[in-house]
Amino acid sequence: MNRTIKHTFQYPHSPKVVWEYLTQPELIAQWLMPNDFKAIVGHNFQFKTRPIPNFDFDGNIYCRVLEIIPLKKLVYSWTGGPGDGKINLDSVVSWTLTPKGDSTELHLEHSGLMENINIYNAMNEGWLKNGNKIDELINTAAHGTPKA
Amino acid sequence: MLSKESLTINSLAENFDMSRPAVSKHIKIMYNAGFISITDIGRERYCTLKQDGFSELQNWITYFDSFWKNKLKKLESLLNEKINKK
Repeated sequence: MNRTIKHTFQYPHSPKVVWEYLTQPELIAQWLMPNDFKAIVGHNFQFKTRPIPNFDFDGNIYCRVLEIIPLKKLVYSWTGGPGDGKINLDSVVSWTLTPKGDSTELHLEHSGLMENINIYNAMNEGWLKNGNKIDELINTAAHGTPKA
Repeated sequence: MLSKESLTINSLAENFDMSRPAVSKHIKIMYNAGFISITDIGRERYCTLKQDGFSELQNWITYFDSFWKNKLKKLESLLNEKINKK
């Protein structure tokens, strides 16, 4: 199951200023995370943050710039994992800027996020295969029928 | 949909081709993940599936939802400071 996160904020600044805070590494680092971003399509960069052991996440977010429309749109991939090559986060972040008078409306969409990622990490294959069986068995056991 | 009936660990083990310790290990993982609750009644441990566990479970979506809210608020403060410094 995939879902998209959406947030919209309005800032009392021109799109040019807001764009700077989305595309200049030192400015991005001030509110988002340390990074080596470059506003070039195809550029691979990283964000560095704290690991989340529960999510099998080592704190490194690997990104690639996918689309740039200066002052209007910025899209990059947002991926991560436990650090052993396995990827359990494979999403896309999309920024859209819309001028509103003297302000800028900044719209964020973070798509491709899987729910319940913990399920897949916490269970091994055998357990997953038995997932449907549990349903069956619990119903069977509850009604006192001998096992099939 | 999964039922709310409970099963003891022993009866679970009987129904899977798995040793009791192995089932316990999986039960522990499921418990930590919030899928089941465990109640001790007499000498048995009863496991009940929590359907709510699936939605309450921490996941990338709930994590990033607050993450972005916080970050965008931070950007707001940063930009406000900018105005005040003018």
